[in-house]
Amino acid sequence: MNLGISAVEFVSQAKEGVISVEEFVAKTLDRIKKVDEKIHAFITVDAQNALDKARTIDKKIKSKEKIGSCFGMPLSIKDNICTEGIKTTCASKMLENFVAPYDATVISRLKLEDAIIIGKANLDEFAMGSTTEFSYFGPTRNPWNLEYVPGGSSGGSGASVAAYECLASLGSDTGGSVRSPASFCSVVGLKPTYGLISRYGLVSYANSIEQVGPIAKTVEDVAFLLNIISGHDPHDNTTANNGYVDYVQDLKHGISGKKIGIISQMIGEGVDKEVASATNTAISKLQNLGAECIPISLDAIEHSVAAYYTIASAEASSNLARYDNLRYGFDFGIEGYEFKAFVSKARSNFGPEVTRRMLLGAFVLSAGYYGKYYLKAQKVRAMIKAQLDEAFKKVDYLISPTMPILPFKVGEKIDDPLKLYLTDINTITANLSGIPAISVPFSMSSSGLPIGIQLFANSFKEKELLQAAHVLQETSNLPEISL
Amino acid sequence: MVERKEIEHLGDLVKVDLSEPEKYIKQVEQILNYFDRLDKVEFPSDDTLRTQITTDGLRDDVYEPYGDSLIGHLKKDQNNFIRAPKMV
Amino acid sequence: MTKIGLEIHCQLTKLASKLFCSCKAEYRNLEPNSNICPVCAGLPGSLPLLNKKAVEKATMISLALGCTIPEKIGFFRKNYFYPDLPKNFQITQYNAYGPTSIGSDGKIEIEGKTIRIRRIQLEEDPGRLVYEGTSEKTMITLIDYNRAGTPLVEIVTEPDFETPKQVRVFLNVLADLVENIGVSDPYLEGAMRVDGNISEGDGNRVEIKNVGSFRDIEKALHFEITRQQSLVERGITVQAETRHWDEARRITVSARSKEEEQDYRYLPEADIPIVLIEHHSIEQIKMQMPESIVARRERYVKKYGLPPQVSDVLSSDKFYSDLFDKAHNEKNAKEVSNIITTDLMGFADTREKKLELKITPKHITDLADSIMTNKLTRNSGKTALQEMVKTGKSLADVISSLDLGHVSDVGSIEKIIDEVFKEEEKAVSEAKQNPDTINYLVGKVMKKTKGKADPTTTLGILRKKLSA
Repeated sequence: MNLGISAVEFVSQAKEGVISVEEFVAKTLDRIKKVDEKIHAFITVDAQNALDKARTIDKKIKSKEKIGSCFGMPLSIKDNICTEGIKTTCASKMLENFVAPYDATVISRLKLEDAIIIGKANLDEFAMGSTTEFSYFGPTRNPWNLEYVPGGSSGGSGASVAAYECLASLGSDTGGSVRSPASFCSVVGLKPTYGLISRYGLVSYANSIEQVGPIAKTVEDVAFLLNIISGHDPHDNTTANNGYVDYVQDLKHGISGKKIGIISQMIGEGVDKEVASATNTAISKLQNLGAECIPISLDAIEHSVAAYYTIASAEASSNLARYDNLRYGFDFGIEGYEFKAFVSKARSNFGPEVTRRMLLGAFVLSAGYYGKYYLKAQKVRAMIKAQLDEAFKKVDYLISPTMPILPFKVGEKIDDPLKLYLTDINTITANLSGIPAISVPFSMSSSGLPIGIQLFANSFKEKELLQAAHVLQETSNLPEISL
Repeated sequence: MVERKEIEHLGDLVKVDLSEPEKYIKQVEQILNYFDRLDKVEFPSDDTLRTQITTDGLRDDVYEPYGDSLIGHLKKDQNNFIRAPKMV
Repeated sequence: MTKIGLEIHCQLTKLASKLFCSCKAEYRNLEPNSNICPVCAGLPGSLPLLNKKAVEKATMISLALGCTIPEKIGFFRKNYFYPDLPKNFQITQYNAYGPTSIGSDGKIEIEGKTIRIRRIQLEEDPGRLVYEGTSEKTMITLIDYNRAGTPLVEIVTEPDFETPKQVRVFLNVLADLVENIGVSDPYLEGAMRVDGNISEGDGNRVEIKNVGSFRDIEKALHFEITRQQSLVERGITVQAETRHWDEARRITVSARSKEEEQDYRYLPEADIPIVLIEHHSIEQIKMQMPESIVARRERYVKKYGLPPQVSDVLSSDKFYSDLFDKAHNEKNAKEVSNIITTDLMGFADTREKKLELKITPKHITDLADSIMTNKLTRNSGKTALQEMVKTGKSLADVISSLDLGHVSDVGSIEKIIDEVFKEEEKAVSEAKQNPDTINYLVGKVMKKTKGKADPTTTLGILRKKLSA
């Protein structure tokens, strides 16, 4: 049995009875047992429930009962998305025992379609990071080379898909957290338009810019999952009500006659040579398939890292205030403490990156500084969006490398936060402006490390974006993972 | 310049005991210095980006009890109160 | 000069659900933490869902207080750690970065004085804390989140009050107003809470919090004014601070500050989109709104020619003005207003007494008509009213059971006058000399008839007999 098949292939094989769901899930669990000691993509594996559910679905298939469209496909879920009955830790000591009493909307929609949650995937604590090194439970490793980081913060999601520990995953993307691990692990990752997918049940980090996003082996799989999890949710007032779109249909529409803008600010200075060369190859392949490519300059991008970290840290400092260990949290008695001392003591269990961002956030929101930092950061968002709107009058898509650099070694950049922040330069534009962006695995570096290419489209143009991503995917020729 | 006193005040605001405040001073200062580039931006407008909703899209005022007993999932005493330390 | 400003927290008690979730808005008398859900208990992943009707009700209050309603409203987070706040921030509104609260720049006239309303904002109430334990060692705080997230409207005035009495009058009018427009029951425990800020001359501003009732705010303000004045007299500077009202000791005490304004780190609440308040929805709300107190007062003065003071008193009390509106007609309006404002309000000077009244509009209509057609004297009318509000019996029943029927036939009044003349020879001869003393004899006739004799008829006969 090949665990490397796509989610869509799994569905057709399960539907036709070529494979048994139970067998596939059991094999996947064996695989996790075998490789996850090294990769550490999972925080929690829900083996027994996954197997029980698989058996139930097999019975339904045999008796020809109605079955949800996922046919029991095993998924990993980033551990900042609430799952009823399974721990949701956010890779933090603060929530090490937290079991949400409810499912996130994306989870209940997947369950309704008979998806199986095989486990919860590792991340940087509360999704703050881009390497998955800042997890309370220890770092996740890149399945292509265990000495390297898998990207982040959805590193567990990216690695688990790449290492065949599940068929697909849900991550969350606040500043590139789906696309960075997709790029570093050679899988597909989509950051949808802000408001396309419900955030109900996604533990907030920077709630004005983040979205849940699917990570999978293929563009088809991403489109398939998007069909299930997207759409208006009465539990989230920020979701858009823009009708149902079928992202799978016409996916192979092609790219002929379309215009693609090459973002000058994302391919010049500071971009790794091999990454730049891969991007140029991708561009010429798209041109060969009928697309017209022109350079586009978006100078507001120069301010994007400062704006992004201002907004993200400000919102983080407020969103994480609720973790005071009174209503839930780890075991820590109140006896002998005064309120402030107790809370400050309990909260000293946040990791260093979270603490750093909360301090930064408190600073930029301080009286007198709002106008200097937060308000300006908000204006940068509008400025970027305005420039993008102008660009999308000329072109249908924008293109860039997903990450300006190749995956790097675990521990290499952990002590220089600003340097790490600057590697987000290509991904945060989509978060600040709200537009969708996708990372498609494109090639391998000479040292065997994955390189992903990023495509953008205008807000709510996911269907067109996936069509272009599909073209790009078909031009690439990538090796099988050996693990 | 970010001073020790300032870092400690921020720590107090976000309620985190900083065992080694020095560790954060340099990093926070470095990042804030980087943020200062926002001062040089010339903004074409005062627009900000926010999602909008009409009143029709808001929740209707209907009481629906939470199905499950939520308090059963939280830390509590025998009378279902949540316990907090004294306030001084 | 004393300057007083107020912050009034008014619960929207007429709503079915909380401000951001579907838990019950009425939190009183429930088992601890039985009215909570992931949203109002601040669980990770939960998102606030703004209550449409809460926006409508807050709009009503804003309109009634003459505020400007912006085209877009927004919500902010006020960040501070306190155990009654499950998220350790409160979702509220904030105007420092442009007016986005539901109302701003309003005003209301109170006894000829204009009180300006700075802003009106919609926000969530925190949970309730109970302190347990006696000794320093055993002290703990118990939290009940049933109230957390219930809808509040905060009304912030400019410092336009000069005396605690003005404050009391304003609060009574405000309480009547919110009751009148159907947004709150101001007499429910905790439904209306007032914080005050006071300064003397150019002195520092002192905030007074934790005041339990309207009556106490007047006392607290009095105490604080005296305290500040005596400090000033002794040449001591008044500190800018927050003080709590100590109900038991009836003094204000310096409160160890939680966080001060500059530490709240206000942040736009991105989980609640900017809400567009469309023109047509405001018009719709205006249509649903009952007549405002001001409009009512105007109608009473213009249409019925009621004196301004009577119109004031009548219009600001929903119970009595509703009674007036149902009982009066074109002809008897003045008499009806008289009965209500002089007699009825006298019997029921407290809310409890008001609720016990067994009065119907028909009682008042019948009474006014009887007095106007001389079937009943004012005096007997008052007696009848007293009986009707107690028993709820009809006017006719009360008149016959208490024998209040009017005596106006000349024959019987003459008979009584003859009796009085026999008993009061001295007074009669005096009245013959000095007609101004005639009222004494009228009084005697009234006493004999228990106030039922028609005063005009009595006076006529007396004059005739004295001059004979």
